[in-house]
Amino acid sequence: MLLIDDLILRALGITIPGLDLIYTLEIIKNLAYKELYNPEKVKSRIKENQMLYEFGEISRGEFEETKSSLMEQLKFTERFEEMNLSVRSDIFS
Amino acid sequence: MNTDNQNGKYVYCIVKAQDEQESFGNIGFQGKEVYTIKYKEFSPVVSDAIFKKYDIGDEEDIKTHTLVVNEVMKKYSVIPVAYGMVFKNKKLVEISMRSGHKAMRKAIKIVDNKVELGVKIILPKDFDGDMQKAEQCKSEFSKSLKQIAFDSKDLNLFSKRLIMNGSFLVEKDKIEAFSDEVERLTTKYDSFKVSYSGPWSPYNFVDIHILSQQRGGFR
Repeated sequence: MLLIDDLILRALGITIPGLDLIYTLEIIKNLAYKELYNPEKVKSRIKENQMLYEFGEISRGEFEETKSSLMEQLKFTERFEEMNLSVRSDIFS
Repeated sequence: MNTDNQNGKYVYCIVKAQDEQESFGNIGFQGKEVYTIKYKEFSPVVSDAIFKKYDIGDEEDIKTHTLVVNEVMKKYSVIPVAYGMVFKNKKLVEISMRSGHKAMRKAIKIVDNKVELGVKIILPKDFDGDMQKAEQCKSEFSKSLKQIAFDSKDLNLFSKRLIMNGSFLVEKDKIEAFSDEVERLTTKYDSFKVSYSGPWSPYNFVDIHILSQQRGGFR
């Protein structure tokens, strides 16, 4: 089944203002997701937490608590990355 | 029953081969013996282990890996292997050694008789001081230490407070001179916080990927 969507129209050089806006919003949404669920950022925060503990700026308890929460976050962001939600699926074919 | 899980070999690091198999005692995972397997001129340092995923969040397991590598480093120069490298059986370790042989020959020349030392400098909490002085501190640390070290790497500044994250490959007979210089500069720039760590096996100077899945395989 040939699905005529904004990607095909754009490839043919046809732009439709309404669809263009949706397309731009999708790009912004995906960028926001990537920023929010970025495993590298969480890894940096794990390292920072470790560093602050080593420098004696936070207690063992604070370190453990933050680490545990960040590890959960890391698992979630890695799962999110694997799911790759920004990929379009043709559910009608 | 799947016996593969019971026959796993966890690889901690690789050293130059000795004439005979060597034991480092029962210091491996689950208190298992750590010993060498010979492959040509190299010996992976291994212990029998369950074939499973080794979680980076497991502090105890990371400690065990580090402790074993530190113990081996007391006697030998080591080619580091990434944490979590467990193989289903001895045969797979040998296959990995075969495919990585050429890279290991290069790596051993780099790490032989050397260790890795780490220096981090961070700004004090709520720093509202002179950024020019911070730049000067970073620059002097970097310049002086690079003169003593054999090689160096600038690592990721993963925190806004981190102004320097350096890793230095230092010949064993220069460790003292390196440490003295770190101490001198730490005293000179006492308004900044300095962390000096090591000796580590040279993880940041050897990068061999064999039989890898994502970051797996030897590294």
